[in-house]
Amino acid sequence: MLLSLHEVRGFRCLTEVRFEPAPGLNLVRGRNAQGKTSLLESILFVATSKSHRTAQERELLLHEAESFHLRTVLERRGTPVTLEANWWRGTKRFKVNGVPQQRMSDILGQLNVVLFSPEDVDIVKGGASARRRFMDMELAQVDKGYLNALQLYRQVLRQRNELLKRPKPDRDLLRAWEPQFVESGRAIMESRGRFLEELAAIATETHASIGGGEALQVRYEPDVKQADQLQETLDKYLESDLRRQQTTRGPHRDDIGLFIAERPARDYGSQGQQKTAALAMRLAVVELVRQRTGEYPVLMLDEVLAELDADRCQRLFLAIPEAVQCIATTTQLEGAPAGYAGDFASFLIEGGRLERR
Amino acid sequence: MFIESPRVTRLIDAFRRLPGVGRRSAERMALHLLSAPEDIAYELSDALREARASIRWCSVCSHLTETDPCPICADERRDHGLICVVEQPFAVIAIEKGGSYKGVYHVLHGVLSPLDGIGPSELKLDRLFRRLEDGAVREVVLATNTTPEGEATALFLSRQIAERGVAVSRIAHGVPMGGGLEYADEATLAQAIQGRTKL
Ligand SMILES: [Zn+2]
Repeated sequence: MLLSLHEVRGFRCLTEVRFEPAPGLNLVRGRNAQGKTSLLESILFVATSKSHRTAQERELLLHEAESFHLRTVLERRGTPVTLEANWWRGTKRFKVNGVPQQRMSDILGQLNVVLFSPEDVDIVKGGASARRRFMDMELAQVDKGYLNALQLYRQVLRQRNELLKRPKPDRDLLRAWEPQFVESGRAIMESRGRFLEELAAIATETHASIGGGEALQVRYEPDVKQADQLQETLDKYLESDLRRQQTTRGPHRDDIGLFIAERPARDYGSQGQQKTAALAMRLAVVELVRQRTGEYPVLMLDEVLAELDADRCQRLFLAIPEAVQCIATTTQLEGAPAGYAGDFASFLIEGGRLERR
Repeated sequence: MFIESPRVTRLIDAFRRLPGVGRRSAERMALHLLSAPEDIAYELSDALREARASIRWCSVCSHLTETDPCPICADERRDHGLICVVEQPFAVIAIEKGGSYKGVYHVLHGVLSPLDGIGPSELKLDRLFRRLEDGAVREVVLATNTTPEGEATALFLSRQIAERGVAVSRIAHGVPMGGGLEYADEATLAQAIQGRTKL
């Protein structure tokens, strides 16, 4: 997958930007708060309809503006595809090759991107919700059925939880939501199980090659052990659900177990080591997307290079296959990244304006 | 806003409450009606007022009607032992266009949705259950949409109806997933009703 053009109008501090990345490595340079992260965020938005930094989409607007526009041209298996995202007074519209899209599942997977950002240390350090967010976002890009199941599950869960908040919820009414809960929950668990099984093998290897030291182990930790036990679990926990006024058990409580040297990764090592483990997880997705779709996704690295010494930086670039288009931000205004000897294209962002360097 | 007037704002707000109308279309329609010849605007308001005043819910099936019971409920040639339950009057119109369904209807005017505060009493389900009391109804076909709420409503109804000793079926999933019935074409709908599965 190759991103050949990305145009931005009125997204955060980016008034008007035309970004034409090259194949291979692209360095987006700039001092802090000049718009580097916003550029990556806007690419993520056109690809996934979401920001990684905020759920309040109004924050994505330029000061006092009412709309933003994104237009992206990419090449998928040699065929050009144009994506557009327009946000206007709270409604967002997406087009693929000029055709308006109604369903999220038709937008996702057009442009596969993997973003590693400083907040990703939460995959290792944070709560289970950060790891579920990681799974959901990466899986939705490569598994269309997953997003549909997830949307159904979330809606049914919200409806069921709302019923549980009533003074005396009617059992028959509660039961009316259960088959959809069970069916979508099972689909989610099966997708997550397969995804993490594939990811685990790649992540361990990647972690070793970027200098993570002791072995990283990844495994799915579903809240309900077996997908075919969901109905049984609902029945068993009904009293507890009624008492707590919410659905106690289910895939909405799933987690990913991350271990380094057989100890929980969150208790192991320094912030730097945890970050390396998180980076290994994202890089593993790059390879997994290739295995599933036949093409590498676009890799975006936000604020990674500055923190790495020459040795680690060199290992990182060795771990990224040459065919991967990579967009990396850096505060380093001149020269190649430490320890990197290959070709790269270079851009400078200053005050929300971008130019080729 | 293009004209600072509370009256114009009221008109735009009224359009915005219609299904599928966003702010931009609401403004465009309001502007059109205000700048076109008076007759066009008054024809719309007269037609709306008269139609609304003459249309009520059928006391049997809750479909929209000018006469009570509605022409479908009053039609002796239809099969009154077969009731098709739909969410909205629009679905009745779509199924009727197909022309092959010979039973009668029951319009819920909504679906179960705890998040919207809609439960069995808001849907006046007792009106449906009362129709099943005298033993004249053989079968109920559930033709709610394939949304999460439509499915949950169908499931809830299927148990309640079965308890009353009446056969229940669900329309076949020829209807697009997640789609409303009004978007299915008439042929698809006719097939969906014909290919219904016993629950
Ligand atoms: Zn009637």
